[in-house]
Amino acid sequence: MAVGKSVPMLDSVARVTGTVPYPSNLKLPDMLVGKIFRSRVPHARVIKLDVSAAERLPGVVAIVTAADFAGDDKPNLHFGSPIQDQPIVAGDRIRYIGEPLALIAAESAAVADQAMDLIELEYEELSAVFDAEQAMLPGSPILHEAFPDNIVRHSKLRRGDIEAGFAAADEIVEEVFSSPMAQQASLETHVAAARWKEGKLTLWTGSQSPYTVRRVLSAIFDLDLENVRVIVPPLGGGFGGKGNVRIQPMAAALAWKVGNRPVKLVMTRAEEFVTVTKHAAKIMMKSGVKFDGTFTAREVSIYWNGGAYASSSAHLVPAGMLRAIGPYRIPAVHVDSYGIYTNLPIAAAYRGAMSSQGVFAHESHMDTIAHLLGIDPLELRTKNLLRTDDLFATGERLHDIHFVECLEAAAYGLGWHEPLQSDNGTIKKRGRGLAVMMKNTIANSYSECRIELDAEGLVTLFISTVEMGQGGHTALAQIAAEALGVPIEALRVRGPDTAETPPDAQTASSRSTHMMGGAVLDGAASLRQQLAEAAAPILEWSPDDLSVADGYVFVTTQPQARIPYAEVLGRNNIDALTATGKYSTNEGKLDPDTGQGISTPDWHQGAGACEVEVDTQTGKVTVLRYHSASFAGRVVNPTLAGLQNDGNVIFGMGASLLEEVAIDGGQITNPNLSDYMLPSFLDTPVELKNVSLEEEGSSFQGIGEMTLPPVAPAIANAIYDAVGARIRDLPLTAEKVLRGIQGRTDHER
Amino acid sequence: MSDRTLTLQVNGRPYTLEVPSGQTLLETLRESLELVGVRDSCGIGMCGTCTVLVDGRAISSCLTLTAQVENKHITTIEGLSQDGQLHPVQQAYIDHGAFQCAYCTPGFILSTVALLGENANPDDAAIREYLAGNLCRCGSYVNILNAVRACRTIDD
Repeated sequence: MAVGKSVPMLDSVARVTGTVPYPSNLKLPDMLVGKIFRSRVPHARVIKLDVSAAERLPGVVAIVTAADFAGDDKPNLHFGSPIQDQPIVAGDRIRYIGEPLALIAAESAAVADQAMDLIELEYEELSAVFDAEQAMLPGSPILHEAFPDNIVRHSKLRRGDIEAGFAAADEIVEEVFSSPMAQQASLETHVAAARWKEGKLTLWTGSQSPYTVRRVLSAIFDLDLENVRVIVPPLGGGFGGKGNVRIQPMAAALAWKVGNRPVKLVMTRAEEFVTVTKHAAKIMMKSGVKFDGTFTAREVSIYWNGGAYASSSAHLVPAGMLRAIGPYRIPAVHVDSYGIYTNLPIAAAYRGAMSSQGVFAHESHMDTIAHLLGIDPLELRTKNLLRTDDLFATGERLHDIHFVECLEAAAYGLGWHEPLQSDNGTIKKRGRGLAVMMKNTIANSYSECRIELDAEGLVTLFISTVEMGQGGHTALAQIAAEALGVPIEALRVRGPDTAETPPDAQTASSRSTHMMGGAVLDGAASLRQQLAEAAAPILEWSPDDLSVADGYVFVTTQPQARIPYAEVLGRNNIDALTATGKYSTNEGKLDPDTGQGISTPDWHQGAGACEVEVDTQTGKVTVLRYHSASFAGRVVNPTLAGLQNDGNVIFGMGASLLEEVAIDGGQITNPNLSDYMLPSFLDTPVELKNVSLEEEGSSFQGIGEMTLPPVAPAIANAIYDAVGARIRDLPLTAEKVLRGIQGRTDHER
Repeated sequence: MSDRTLTLQVNGRPYTLEVPSGQTLLETLRESLELVGVRDSCGIGMCGTCTVLVDGRAISSCLTLTAQVENKHITTIEGLSQDGQLHPVQQAYIDHGAFQCAYCTPGFILSTVALLGENANPDDAAIREYLAGNLCRCGSYVNILNAVRACRTIDD
């Protein structure tokens, strides 16, 4: 059985010998270098953009500006999925610092850089707005005239009698939490190379969404879908930042203008920070509780800073609404989730997307309530956590719910009830904290695969699942190998390449193992049926009397009467058997006024518990021990699953303790990995453990993010436990902790 | 900038190249020699993806001018395996699942080789300290630690 084994990643040798063909390595014959001339002001009306001197520079092949899109026979300047508000290059209006204004294709990077200096831009600056709440106020600068209040999306949830709920409460607790803009910071930056040939566009790119890229590019250039081909090599990390459509339209537009030569765009590290970011969020959370810890009502308002264009915010804002409520039994819930335009770079998914901000809020809030009521934080949670058959705030009945098991696995792993090694009286104090999360999956979604079995018994899996380090190709090959009864060594994986691999919505939101895994199981079942039908005349039994397993077709009642797959094909003169597998979900249609309905086919579930040490003289926080748990249903590959769980915790520690994109007047002031720090070996807890919970008869559940969102609140709760300081603003820097400790001391005096 | 003719010793082979005087070793290795296991990421010596060995020492090739390493012995990930046999550190990284996207992996492996060259039996603290100059955004540190432990002369 291939499933359940720690099979090394299929291309492990390439990974340790440096030969993975990342998009950044791509070299095509006659390829030109693409560079981007960007805005240096956050909001302005463009008066004149003159690229003529730059165009005349020897070695410059083409320059694209908005003028190239004027005219009915030209490509569309604007794109976006689903709201088409984003220009490929800014036309008469600049909306953030770093916005592309002109694209240069040149023989070398040095020439392109020289050309940049020859571009002349005249503009009239407009007043700008960077804070999301401020942008909603009347009189604020308007980014898009069609959205006069700067609200790109407002999602609502209304359940129960909220006023009666608060009236029935013994205590009402109200808090405000905030998370800053952050950057996904995959070590490989965004890359896109484009080539036009005979009216057809081919794109090589580091993207998590090849089929979205194809659809959006076909709309920009008014091409039939089959005339746009998107090829995605393995990525040097994605983390949500490479989802949707990012730099691909620019590469395609440059190659379109050049005509007969390919152009490659590679973002610098600094450009990454203006390409995509994580939504800064402010969350107001108000809960009514009884003295015994029973909840009566919860009201949540969320302000997501979406940046200058809608991009992914349009569908992430409703998802973020559901993810901020918390997995608890609360009879009355009201939520308002606002996505807001500001003069900042676009915000989109960042691993643990639209969960981390909300989970930090509701799980910090739970501890505030626990301490107020004098109830143990684990006990308050387990008393209120949702169980199977409970109703969620959307009114949907829950199934396969394991919040209590996840939280207890993390808490008991840490030793929640064991005495803490106390350092009272010394400078360093220890504390413990825990947190739990729930996340809807992407509903109303589709995955398809093709499986080919050849006459030598080799199996090729054609999938558009992107391999970005998560081991998706290996896990899906394991699922196929088990379903077909062949060893993993017989498996090959191809894709994504929209010319040969079938459609898949995207590789995001921890959906691939479940969704594409479901498609693989469907395809394998169809292939087994074809094998039975092809073997039936040879074995002289009806296909219904045959079984297909372990590399053989055999008579169910006489297993010794059997033929290997290769022989089934050989004796029928078949080169290959091919099957298509599909998996789709159609939930996710909530009532727009009440948020009621079925939001998701499955719930993602995870938890974490940690022990920290706080230096009371400096405020420095060290996470000594961290235990995480996620609900996996059925684990495909224990090593890869462990890497997801641990990797989430480490990624989450970055957002918890280190990461904040600093902005001054719309200008990002730390767009480099020195001032924007990522977690290193020395930030990793000395004791870091994880568990993937399984259940008999369960399906493959996504685990790509579940242990991430609990990290920040678990640490914040542990800091409170250690020194009594409640930090409600991420990241949990030493400065804030120290201020918290001092504030508390002043208050006690 | 004027070009200079230099001889570099890369992975045991001499290369004579015309190199612009301001060119970094990262650019020379990736662009001229097509050794793409050396990777660009931060460009300022913070992330370690461009790590190579110069006379056995791990350095950031993005901060090193090619002219500085003339006639020195440069090892990239491409030079680590011999006759198709993986280096023991490479094998340990596979055995312990010590990578995800693997963009950082060549840098980590070369830093590990340099560490073991200086100290054949580093303890956990020494490993964590030495490898802190290499970043893994996927967060594979626990498995990397296990892989390096397995490479020690005395494996406990």
